[in-house]
Amino acid sequence: MLNLTIDGKKVEAEPGWTLLDTARQNGIEIPTLCYHEAVEPFGACRLCVVEVKIGAGSRLMASCVYPAEEGLEVQTKSERVMNVRRWILEMLLSECPASAEVRELAAEYGVTSTRFEVKNPEQECILCGLCVRACAQVVGAKAISTVGRGAGKQIGAPYLVPGEDCIACGSCVTVCPTGAMRERFYKVRGVPPVVMARSSK
Amino acid sequence: MANECKIGVFLCECGRRIAPLVDLKDLAAKLEADPLIDYVAIEPYSCMAPGLAAIAAAIEDKGLDRVIVAGCEARLMLGKFQEELAPAGLEEGQIDIVNLRGHVARVSGLSPEENAAKGFKLIKAAAAGLEVLIPTVREPVQFEGPVMVLGGGIATYSAAQELSRREIDCIIAVTTDEWEDEIRMLHEHYPGERHYYDRMEAIMREVDESPYVRRITVGELTSVFGRTGEYHVTFSDPMGGPPRIYEASAIIAALDGQMLNQGSNFGHDGRNVICHTEAEEMLWTLGVPDGKVVFWINDYEAGHPEYCYLASRSAWSMARYMREHSPLTQVTILYNHQMSVPLSAGERALSRKLDIDWVPYDGALRPTVQAGFVTYCDPEDHTEQEMPWDRLILSPRRSVGHESTKVAHVLGLEHVEGHFLEPHKQRVRPEMVGRAEALLAGSARYPCDLHEALRQGRRAAIKTAELVDKAETGELYAPRMVCTVDQDKCIGCGLCKEICDCGGIEPVEGPGGNIPRHVDPMTCTGGGTCAAACPYHALTLQNNTSAQREARVAVLSRELGEDEVLAFGCAWGGLAAADNAGAKGLAYDPRLYMLRVGCIGQLDPSVLARAFLEGANSLLLIGCPPEDCHHSYGLDHTWSRVNLIKKLLGLCGFDRRRIALAHADLNRPEDYIRTVESFAERMAELGPIERTEENLEKLAGLYATVNASRVRWVLGATLRRPWEEVYPGNQRNALAFDRDMMGVVSEEFIKARVSNLLKDTQRPYQLHELAQALNEDEKPLMDSVREMVGEGLIGRMHKDGKAHYVLRA
Repeated sequence: MLNLTIDGKKVEAEPGWTLLDTARQNGIEIPTLCYHEAVEPFGACRLCVVEVKIGAGSRLMASCVYPAEEGLEVQTKSERVMNVRRWILEMLLSECPASAEVRELAAEYGVTSTRFEVKNPEQECILCGLCVRACAQVVGAKAISTVGRGAGKQIGAPYLVPGEDCIACGSCVTVCPTGAMRERFYKVRGVPPVVMARSSK
Repeated sequence: MANECKIGVFLCECGRRIAPLVDLKDLAAKLEADPLIDYVAIEPYSCMAPGLAAIAAAIEDKGLDRVIVAGCEARLMLGKFQEELAPAGLEEGQIDIVNLRGHVARVSGLSPEENAAKGFKLIKAAAAGLEVLIPTVREPVQFEGPVMVLGGGIATYSAAQELSRREIDCIIAVTTDEWEDEIRMLHEHYPGERHYYDRMEAIMREVDESPYVRRITVGELTSVFGRTGEYHVTFSDPMGGPPRIYEASAIIAALDGQMLNQGSNFGHDGRNVICHTEAEEMLWTLGVPDGKVVFWINDYEAGHPEYCYLASRSAWSMARYMREHSPLTQVTILYNHQMSVPLSAGERALSRKLDIDWVPYDGALRPTVQAGFVTYCDPEDHTEQEMPWDRLILSPRRSVGHESTKVAHVLGLEHVEGHFLEPHKQRVRPEMVGRAEALLAGSARYPCDLHEALRQGRRAAIKTAELVDKAETGELYAPRMVCTVDQDKCIGCGLCKEICDCGGIEPVEGPGGNIPRHVDPMTCTGGGTCAAACPYHALTLQNNTSAQREARVAVLSRELGEDEVLAFGCAWGGLAAADNAGAKGLAYDPRLYMLRVGCIGQLDPSVLARAFLEGANSLLLIGCPPEDCHHSYGLDHTWSRVNLIKKLLGLCGFDRRRIALAHADLNRPEDYIRTVESFAERMAELGPIERTEENLEKLAGLYATVNASRVRWVLGATLRRPWEEVYPGNQRNALAFDRDMMGVVSEEFIKARVSNLLKDTQRPYQLHELAQALNEDEKPLMDSVREMVGEGLIGRMHKDGKAHYVLRA
C-alpha cells in the first residue's frame, strides 16, 4: 500500500495504479479526452496533467500514465495545472473547432475562443489515437491507424483505402471523444460488397 | 430450472456521468432487497484498477460466481472485465454489463429516482439471465493426426515444405504418381513460369524426401466429415477401388484456377493464333518457333483489364525464353496503352538487350486480327497500323475450373457463378479475419502467379502450424459461445445445416445415414439463428441460451409498466446505435427498455412469445441495416419469426402491430431515436393488452404454439438460406404460401389451447364444452380435436354414449 496526497487529501494506492486511478477512486475528477478504460493509456491529449512535487520544485505529468508512488504530493487543480489545461484547450479549439464535445469542455474552463490560427474549420479529430487503440485492443481487427506524419497525420485505413479488415463493429465511433469518427467510419469501412447471386451449396 | 449461483452487482458512479443522474443509493437498496441478488456495491469506477481490485476481492469474500456491472457499453468493456476477472474464476458468459450510463442516465431525461427504478428493472433482467446460465467447462481442442493438404494445387508443395520444416506431419493428396509429372503439367495453370522451374523442383524434391510428408495419389474428393482437430477425409480410388478414408487434424485446400483458351474469339484457332497455355505446350513439344511471334495482351478487350498484369508478366517471361534460345525468333508484345509495362529497371534493360519490342496501342480502337496481321491504332500519332505475325499469342481466360469447384463444394466454400472462390464472409470474431487464407490457397481464390500461389500455401501452413502448436501445448480452447447439439433430441433433419452461414454444422457419419449432427466450435460464429430455428430445441447456444433470454424477458416483462416498450438490440445495429446515442447524450423516449443480444437472429420465437405471455404489451426488435447482417441472415430470419408472432397476435384478437422489426445503423443514432419514438408513440395509442382470463388463456396458447414442432418446421422452411439471392425472392406463390402458413398456425394454435385446457383442468370435456371454454366455433374445433386424437395427442372416451376428450395418460 502506497501513501500519497492528492489536493491535500491523504489517499492510499496499490502499486501499479496510476495517479488517475487513485484520484478517481477518491472522488477527485480529472478531465480526459484520449483516455478510455477499455484500452491501455496513451498520454496523447495531455488534458489530464497534474502537478507533481519533486524536491523543491514541481513538474507537470500526465496522470493517466504516471504511476502512484510512495509519498507523492499531487495537485490536480493548482493554478499552474489550470493554466496549462486552458492552453491545451485553446490549442485543441484551433485544431478541431468543429467538435461540439471539445467546445463544451473548453467552455467549462472558460475558454471560448482561440488565439491560434484555425487551419481547418471543419476539423473534429484531435488525433489522440483512441479509435486506433480500441480497434487493436478491444476488437483486435487493427483496421484503422494513423496515416502520414507531422502536420499531415490523419486517422484512416492504411493508405486511406477502405480495407477488408474492418468488421464494422462501430467501437471506434463509440469511443471517439470528439465525434470525429462518425464521418470517417464510412471511409474506413468501405461499402459492403453486394453479392449478386449465389450458387447452391 | 434454478441454478445454484451467487450474483454480485457493481454500480458505477462514473464521475459525473452516472452518479448525479441516477439515485445509486436507492438503486442499491432495491437490489439488496431482491432475493436474486446476493451482493451489491457502488464503485466510483468499476473498470479502473481500484474498481477491478474491489470486484475481485468481493468475488473472493462473498463467493460470487456471477457478476453484473451496471456501467457503460458492454461492446467495449466486456472484454476487459473478462480478462481482468478471469484470475478470479469468472469466464465469458458469467459477467454481464448493463449500460446504465448510455441507456438510462444520459438519455432518459428522468429524475434520479425514476432512473434508479429503470435501472433496477434492467439489472434484475440481467440477473435472471445469469441465474439460469449453466456455464460450460472450458475444453481444449485436440489435434489428432496429420495435416491434410488436398486439392492438388501447386500451393500443396509450399504448404508441405513449411509444415515439414516445422516438423509437423502432413499428408499431401495429389492426382499424379510422380512429382516430376506436376512440373510437366504446371504451365496449364501457371504459364510463363519457366524461369522458376528449378526452384520449384527444389521445393518438390525437399517435400518428396521429407520424413514428415506422406504423399498419396487419390481420385476425387468425395466427403469431409468431422471438425477442427479430427477430420475424416474420403477420396475415391483413382483405379476404381473402394473409397479411401484418411484421418486428419486440419485441412488446407490448395486449389488452382483453370486457364481456358479464347475459343473462337480474337481469331483463336489453336494452331497459329494460340493462348499462353498452348504456347507453353508448343515450347515443350516443338521448341521455339522461328519467325515473328506477337503477344497480344488482350485482357482489356476480353473484359478483364485487371488480369493484364499477370498476362503481360507471363508474356514477358515467354518472350525472354524464346529470345534467349532462338536468335531467329522476333518477339513483339502488343499492349493496351492504358496499362503500364510491368518490368523493373533491370528487366527493361534486359528486354532492350534481347530486342523484345513492346508496342502500345490505343485502347479506344479495338485491334483486329487478320490473316498474318493485327491492325491497331498508334496512341502517339493516331494512325492505323498493321503488325505482321507468324504466331499470335493471346491471353488466356481465367476461371475457377470444374475440379476446384467440386472440391470447394465438398468443403462447403461459397462459390458465386462467374466469380472466384470466396472464403466464408463472417467477420464476427477478429481472429477469424484472415482465417480464410488458412483454408484456401492458390489461383482459385483469385488469379495469381506461381510466386503468389506458393506464398499463400506457405501462409496457410504457418497459420495451421500455429493452431497445431497451440493444440499440442494444450492452449487451444474452443470459444465458449458456440452452438452445441443435444444428440438425443436431434433427428438429423439438416435444417440447421441449411441455414447455417458459418459452415460449422456437420453431420456425423453413422449407421442409418449421417445423423445426428454436431458443431465445429472452431468454425461456429455463435450467431445462433440455427439454434432459434431447430424444431426440436436440439441446438443450444452455450452460455448464451434461449432459456437465458427467456428468463430475462420474463422478468423484465413482469416489471414493465403499461406503456413501456420491451426492445432487443443486436450488438452490430440496434444496441450499437443506442450506445452511440448514449455516448452523445441524445435524449429520447425513456419508456424503452433494451436488452442486449449478439445477433437479432438469436431470438427464438418462444422468447418473443414469452414476453407477451409475461406481461409485455409491445416488443421492438432492432437489428442491423438490411443486407448488412454480420451473421448473414439474422435479420431476415427474425423477419419470418416476427411474422409468425404477428399472425398469432391476430388470432388472439390483439393488434398485430404490437411486435415490430426495425433496423438501425450504428452511426445514425438520430434515426434510431426516430424508430424508438414512433414505435413507443404508437404503442401508447394502442394501450395495454387487457389481462383478462380469456386473454391470458390465449397468450398461453400463443406461447405453446411457437414451441410446437410442426409450426417450427413450417417456419424453418421459410427462413432465408445463405445461397438465396434476395429475400423473399421473387415471391412466387406468395399468397398461397402465406395462406398455408396461416392454416398451419391456426390449427396448431387451437390444438395448443385444447391441450392447455385439458392439462390445466384435468377433466374430460365434451366438444360443445370445449367450444364454450375456448370461445370458438364447434365445426373447426371438431376437425382439430379429431386430428389430435388421430395423432395421439389427446384421448377420446365415451361416457353415456357421448364423446369426451381427455388428456392422454
